[in-house]
Amino acid sequence: MPKFVHLHAASAYSAHYGVSWPDDLVQAAADDGADALASTDRDGLYGAVKHVKACMAAGIDPLLGVDLAILEPSKTAGSSGNTGSPGGILAEAGRVVILAHGGQALRHGAGYTALCRLISTAHARPRGPVGLTLAQLAAGVLDPETGAPALTVLLGPFSDVARAMGGRRYLLPRTKFSTWRDTLPAGTLAVEVVSHFSEPGSPLSTTLAVRMLKLAEEFGVPAVLGNAVRYCGEDDAPTADVLDAARAITPLGRVPGLQPTGQGWLKGAAAMYRAGREIVGQGGYSVAELEQLWANTHRLADKCRLDPASDLGWKKPVTPEAGVLGLAQPAAVELWQRAEAGLNLRFPGLGGDRLAAARDRLTMEMETINELGFASYFLTVAEVSEMIRTMGVRRAARGSGASSLVNYVLGISAVDPIANDLLFERFLSRDRSTLPDIDLDVESAERHKVYHRIFERFGPERVTLMSMQNGYRARGAVRDAGLALGMDPEDVDGIAKQLWRFSAGSFREALVEKPELRDFAARVEQAQQPGAREGRDGRGGAQLDLLVDLTERLDRLPRHISMHPCGVILGDSSLLDRTPVQASGLGLPMSQFDKHDMDAMGMLKLDVLGVRMQSAMAYAVREVVRLHPSKAEVVAAGSHPVDGGGQGPAYVGEDGLIDLDAVPLDDEPTFELIRSTHTLGCFQIESPGQRELVGKMAPREFNDLIIDISLFRPGPMKSNMVKPYLENRAGFAPAHYAHPDLKPALAETHGVTVFHEQVLRTLHIMTGCTLSRADEFRRGLGKPDQEPVVEKYFRTHARQRGYSTETIEEVWDTLKAFGSFGFCKAHGAAFAVPTYQSAWLKAHHPAEFLAGLWEHDPGMYPRRLLVAEARRMGIPILPLDVNASAGCYRAERTPAAAGGEGVTGIRLSLSDVYGLSGTELKRIVAGQPYDSLADLRSRAKVSRPILKRLAQLGALDSLQRSAQQLTGNTANRADLIAHVNSMPASKTSRRSEAMEGQLHLPLGELELGTLAARLPAPTLAETVRTELDLLALDASAHLMDSYAPLLAQLGVTTSDKLLGLRNNTEVLVAGVRVATQTPPMRGGRRVVFISVDDGTGCVDATFFHEAQERSGPLLFGTRMLLIRGLTRRTGPRGISLQALEAWDLARPEALPGPGYLQDPGRPQDSRHPDSSRAGGRELARELGRGTPGQQSTAELARRMEVESLDHRAG
Amino acid sequence: MGTFSEGIEVWLTAAGLPLHLLWRGRRYTLAADPVRWYERRNWWDEETRAAPGAGAGLVDREIWRVQVRRDGGASGTPLLTLDLVRYLPAGRWRVIKIYDALRESVEELEPGA
Repeated sequence: MPKFVHLHAASAYSAHYGVSWPDDLVQAAADDGADALASTDRDGLYGAVKHVKACMAAGIDPLLGVDLAILEPSKTAGSSGNTGSPGGILAEAGRVVILAHGGQALRHGAGYTALCRLISTAHARPRGPVGLTLAQLAAGVLDPETGAPALTVLLGPFSDVARAMGGRRYLLPRTKFSTWRDTLPAGTLAVEVVSHFSEPGSPLSTTLAVRMLKLAEEFGVPAVLGNAVRYCGEDDAPTADVLDAARAITPLGRVPGLQPTGQGWLKGAAAMYRAGREIVGQGGYSVAELEQLWANTHRLADKCRLDPASDLGWKKPVTPEAGVLGLAQPAAVELWQRAEAGLNLRFPGLGGDRLAAARDRLTMEMETINELGFASYFLTVAEVSEMIRTMGVRRAARGSGASSLVNYVLGISAVDPIANDLLFERFLSRDRSTLPDIDLDVESAERHKVYHRIFERFGPERVTLMSMQNGYRARGAVRDAGLALGMDPEDVDGIAKQLWRFSAGSFREALVEKPELRDFAARVEQAQQPGAREGRDGRGGAQLDLLVDLTERLDRLPRHISMHPCGVILGDSSLLDRTPVQASGLGLPMSQFDKHDMDAMGMLKLDVLGVRMQSAMAYAVREVVRLHPSKAEVVAAGSHPVDGGGQGPAYVGEDGLIDLDAVPLDDEPTFELIRSTHTLGCFQIESPGQRELVGKMAPREFNDLIIDISLFRPGPMKSNMVKPYLENRAGFAPAHYAHPDLKPALAETHGVTVFHEQVLRTLHIMTGCTLSRADEFRRGLGKPDQEPVVEKYFRTHARQRGYSTETIEEVWDTLKAFGSFGFCKAHGAAFAVPTYQSAWLKAHHPAEFLAGLWEHDPGMYPRRLLVAEARRMGIPILPLDVNASAGCYRAERTPAAAGGEGVTGIRLSLSDVYGLSGTELKRIVAGQPYDSLADLRSRAKVSRPILKRLAQLGALDSLQRSAQQLTGNTANRADLIAHVNSMPASKTSRRSEAMEGQLHLPLGELELGTLAARLPAPTLAETVRTELDLLALDASAHLMDSYAPLLAQLGVTTSDKLLGLRNNTEVLVAGVRVATQTPPMRGGRRVVFISVDDGTGCVDATFFHEAQERSGPLLFGTRMLLIRGLTRRTGPRGISLQALEAWDLARPEALPGPGYLQDPGRPQDSRHPDSSRAGGRELARELGRGTPGQQSTAELARRMEVESLDHRAG
Repeated sequence: MGTFSEGIEVWLTAAGLPLHLLWRGRRYTLAADPVRWYERRNWWDEETRAAPGAGAGLVDREIWRVQVRRDGGASGTPLLTLDLVRYLPAGRWRVIKIYDALRESVEELEPGA
């Protein structure tokens, strides 16, 4: 059997078109004996790098191409509205495949470059469809250097020529074909003959394939055989239909141009040969013609075989040219000089041994960097970092980059790696040649500005943003599957909302397991009963089974690409020869490659991550100085330490500006705040699990924070290190070391292995290997193919060095459990800095800090919870006021009450008023202050609906009050709202506007001073409701306050009272849901964590299997919950709840009556948190831990697992 | 009530082409090259499942137009033209169209059943 090479195959990365993953396509081709395969995604090279990787792994040659639309001036001008520059309206006139030539007959890389450039051109039109005009295509198919053909255009079944063939037309296809032949340079055109065996005469039929073949012969253009592949096998054909429906946003029954048959799969050589025989047979040709077709196909394939190294620059790192970095000397020399200078700056006055140690470390790092040739990479990152600093934007290095002294002395990182015991080998080593990642956190609000500056600094030819693929997840998949089936969108939406954290691919499995899907599962089952087929809308429930199947089919398929949240690609001037780019939402070009493609393509990716907390902190610092514009005032307001001479600390500038990065890391009030567990709003330590952990471990110093953050990862959880660490730390148990030699490595964590660095040191100590080798070993842990090698090495060498079998066993168990999950201490240290800084701000300048949080919304919780936190802390929440509110949340001094001192409150912002446009907001703020309603109307030109909303939110109360002071009028806010509502809709005609300089008559106070007092004032509950609707937060009172009578009747306990209760007390609690978390199922049963806020604080409840069963659909959909549960003490300052049952507070009829806690009939769990009872063991088992008495830590571990997965960096 | 398609037995050549038919109790043999194509199916209306792994044959079905002569019939016997459908994955065959050359009519049978 002859082999066959497919030249036309779309992968799943052709969003909403292709169905199969590159790996699967390549595997199928290789299994069939093919020695090459093309990847020709629609509109780009989205799957190209994955394809090349897969081909290399399978030992076959990759071919790359693209499936692009050809555009021509539209004949129905005006109807489509797609205007292309200057040539008027362009419309798609068929699609062709364009293949890159390889090195067989061409300069290496020239074909691939031409392909990249053409694709970028196809995306360069500011508006209108993606594609090329024939002229653009013709201009790009030759290698500009040699003039040789660099690309081949395949005129196939989707081309305008094929489309013109319907209805036996003779002339039209020939005219079109002549145009192609005459326009494209010789040697760049081929005809692709494809039959999907649709009905004779229709598109993709054998009849048309025959006509294409004849046309090729007539015009002397080579014809090749293909199958226009969209999927791997026949099984995938229905998925392609669903993707077509999703692309057209139309139910299947009405999608125009669905594939005519399901034959577009990656057919093997035998099937392709049969297809070819059928085509030539129907054309009346002989076998010789088939041989010719077959040979042409392979001749073209050979021409297009790409060599990853020489054609694509595979794995060859490229950095900006020395000239661009402004280097007058070799990069290595420059780096040395700058590092030396930085050393003196970072360690002033350092001498003797410590200086020698720092110098040794620097030398060691520099040698590694130079050996790998990465000096220019470090200089590039330093350049970007310095550029951000001079922009006045807060920045912090994150990740393992903090391990490098070079990064520290260059100013890239703020963490001293020597003082914090961080290992360079964890970051970079000679044993690994991939570019290291250095990530920079910047203020989120300034991120786009930073991107623009990077483009300016390095030039647009050297910079592009990285993209990311967005695949179908369960909810999106069920929505699009429902759309395809033409189901009621509301019904589908209801189903989608019940889907929670599982991949679409296991939908059917989830139906059986998840209590929240119980109702839906019942419907599916009912639909399967005979006779259920004919529902209310024809098919009715019968579609539900299909819905589940199609959802599973869509699982993970890419939907679209978007700008990666932080990746910027930096290269030399050839960057755009190596990646196609297209517009991003930001207006800056974006590569078609994602982060998985970077290393392979030798692309230097810099992560510039916008971090809202950095913005919030910068904002808080600005608010502090705005309210307290001198050092003395800031020191007094923040209770900062004062020296003997009455001088405040150096980190507060004379003008009152706080240098956060200079604040010493040992501030006691900060640690006191952290230990109080009132850490809402603090970076990294505000989640329910983290609050529990800081409560348990009671951090006393900065290193504790590093450990805290590092413990909060799946690795430490999995290797059971949280509990021993906490016990050893508390002094309940003595620290245990497998061997005294390990003490120096493990002492800081009381013998427990927490950090990657400790794994490296352990391996180094016990086997004598280098630290960089140790890091390679660490990377092998947890990988089935590498771990045995590591184990063998460890055991052999540790034994040789005289360690006992028990020691070796014990240490290996720890290492093995640690796997590759653990945390790099450098990460922890980098994270701990903003954690400490945010806690410091909360401890010393809480109002300004919370204002920053409200403004930039950085955390995991809704803003309204942080408003509740302000209320809890006694910080006044100042109402919206058209004269006092700005477009941002501002700290504001409140007037001193009699005998007291004024405190700092936070004024609500106009920016979150529902429906208020940016222009209206600007006008309102620019015109402040207003003396009357008429003044507001005439100068701010606020529309009536907005005016009404402002009145509803009390923003006009101050105007009303001042009018009332003059007139004694007694109307209330409801009267005001009614008045605003009754005003005529604003006229926008010019004529009615006041002339420049003309003042409104000072009648305003008349208007508000004469309001009839007719209506009852809104109740507090109504006001809160309005605030939630229009501001999305409850400002005047807590949302739960209106439930107070009901809750009192039920005997509900508030969050602040829980801590005073004994362990295992049965209580009812109630609140607004603020967080829901579900650890991934890994055997065992699922646990659901739900946190509610009741105004006095958060209650963190844990739902085990039975409680989930009882709560069913309430688990995920309900906002206001009543929960019955048992208290569980988690530490000296912490308490949580084991939930037994839950109700929807919004459905009073379903709530239990008073005295329910005494009701003997109330359901109880078979498990019980009291370890003296039998159920404790079961609970502990459910949590994946051994004996009773450990559940508290075990549950924390589960919580930590889910949260750390959510928050995991990078 | 529509007319339903009829079952038919088909013997294939080594290359996978129909050669003999057994229909309404009589044997027929192909008298000309058959023509094959696939016809689209609105599977979302006709099926209740489309599970991953069970998608073959959902989107289309294979149609063969055959011209056959009754076995043992005289050489002058007019050829009979039939459209056959092959259902995957079982490989069942049904007759869905009968072209009646004598009466110049086409009898279309409802597929399915």
